[in-house]
Amino acid sequence: MKYAVPVVAMLAAAPFALQSYQVTLLTEILIFALFAMSLDVQMGYARMFSFGHVLPYGVGAYACAFALQAGWPLPFAIAGAVLVATLLSIPIGWLSTRASGVAFAMLTLAFAQLGYAIVFKWNTFTGGSDGLTGFARNAGPFGFEGFVSRDGYFWLVLIVVFAMYWLARGFMNSAMGRAIVGVRENERRASAIGYVPRSLRVVAFVVSGALAGVAGSLHAGFLLFVSPEILHWTQSGHVIIAVILGGTGTLIGPMIGAALIVLAHHQLSAVTDSWPLVMGLLFIIVVIAAPKGLWGIKASLAARISLRRARPAGEKHAAS
Amino acid sequence: MPLLECSGLTKRWGAVTTVDDVSLTVDAGEVVALIGPNGAGKSTVFNLIAGAIKKTAGAVRFAGESVEHLSAYDLAQKGLSRTYQITCLFPQLTVLENVRLAVQARSPGRLRPMASKAFVDKTQAAAMEWLARVRLADCANRTAGQLSHGDQRLLEIATALALQPKLVLLDEPTQGMSVEETRATVRLLKSLLEDAPIAVLLVEHDLEVVFGVADRIVVLDQGRKIADGNPEAVRNDPAVQRAYLGVAHA
Repeated sequence: MKYAVPVVAMLAAAPFALQSYQVTLLTEILIFALFAMSLDVQMGYARMFSFGHVLPYGVGAYACAFALQAGWPLPFAIAGAVLVATLLSIPIGWLSTRASGVAFAMLTLAFAQLGYAIVFKWNTFTGGSDGLTGFARNAGPFGFEGFVSRDGYFWLVLIVVFAMYWLARGFMNSAMGRAIVGVRENERRASAIGYVPRSLRVVAFVVSGALAGVAGSLHAGFLLFVSPEILHWTQSGHVIIAVILGGTGTLIGPMIGAALIVLAHHQLSAVTDSWPLVMGLLFIIVVIAAPKGLWGIKASLAARISLRRARPAGEKHAAS
Repeated sequence: MPLLECSGLTKRWGAVTTVDDVSLTVDAGEVVALIGPNGAGKSTVFNLIAGAIKKTAGAVRFAGESVEHLSAYDLAQKGLSRTYQITCLFPQLTVLENVRLAVQARSPGRLRPMASKAFVDKTQAAAMEWLARVRLADCANRTAGQLSHGDQRLLEIATALALQPKLVLLDEPTQGMSVEETRATVRLLKSLLEDAPIAVLLVEHDLEVVFGVADRIVVLDQGRKIADGNPEAVRNDPAVQRAYLGVAHA
């Protein structure tokens, strides 16, 4: 948290220093980072490997697009879309958490594929494979003009992503968040001391889905275009890779992993079509050499440094 | 009215009857030990009470209420906590967090979704007190998995007591401990139980532990209850001596 203020300040100043395509790239990074962080809530803290995390993301995006089409002001469209994604996550979470492990992963994948199929086939409602276009970031009558421009939208995304990170961190450190970690560590133990594992899993799933809904709705407002592609199962794969690459159970790690993936995609795809190969190699190296991810490397380095600093002081104390 | 009342507990696995019509009671604040030779059905009785396995027949009442269909977390909320024969902790979490989660489970706001430093401080302080009482305060910040086996058993006892239960089911608390550790644990258990109005049902095959802490002893042999009384009476009971010394049933 001690880096939060300088990092946010630097990002907020970015539009003054960067070219416009770089601001666009930065917006994309922030949205994908929020998406990865949302998956970490269930994957890192509850060890629930959802293979269908695109579902709340895509539903959030489509709902936001519909709301913007209907002329809702941007913040209301986002709030409404998040509500839809959250409400949808409740029954899906309740059903999926009846299983665990691989069965849970397959159930979530099945629900996401169902969502993809509906969006793809229901031409009259969702525009089918063409997707939805022709909507704008509506300022509305409440004076939200500032968020309409590209830079303004970047700032909106920055504020929202930071606020969601702050909320998620608070949730994970709360009594409930710690109980969820307990369930992850030992389900039998957690129920022996009076926690209900299933309910806590559903909560983790729904919080995770709600945050993904925020990311999805920001995505719709960003591109002003949604298509079934955003519900494609490979997206669920990308976001899992981002979480593992960055380091599960840290919230900030997955955001860094996500940034790396977007940047790599952007830089490498200009050089070669087979850029996923490079990401794949990096992924394999991280999983083998640093199972706690990139943020885990940083954390263990920091621990080693503080240990080295503490030791001389401790020896002095022992000598006196 | 007894705190825990089991009547006619029976468990059959196919043709094999491991527990046969066992009735026992535990009063509030009483320490009852359940003993018997290997295979007598001690652990099965224990798991029937805790609801971990389904009974063939019989009834379990806790604090006057039937607890037939309650799950482990409902029992814990009602004041019946247990330890496991095979250590069951949060091995990756710190020793402190292991106990703190138990303290939290019995606190108002146990599932608050927003972080609160005051709440964490309060539950941590209470957890530290429990750790101090089992003399594990020095290891508070190590992960539970790093503790020695004996210390893990103590941590499990501390966690069970931190739930402030009316009744604790202790499943072989000194299992796998050395003789010295066992004696220390017995002393510790006695001191812990002296200043807390907690009833205990103890399964143990170490007779030194049993005679050291129990107010009353229930003896099982081949799934049946063969004795129930104070330690002195049980020690002199010919049926018990037969069961333990392996004399053929006359």
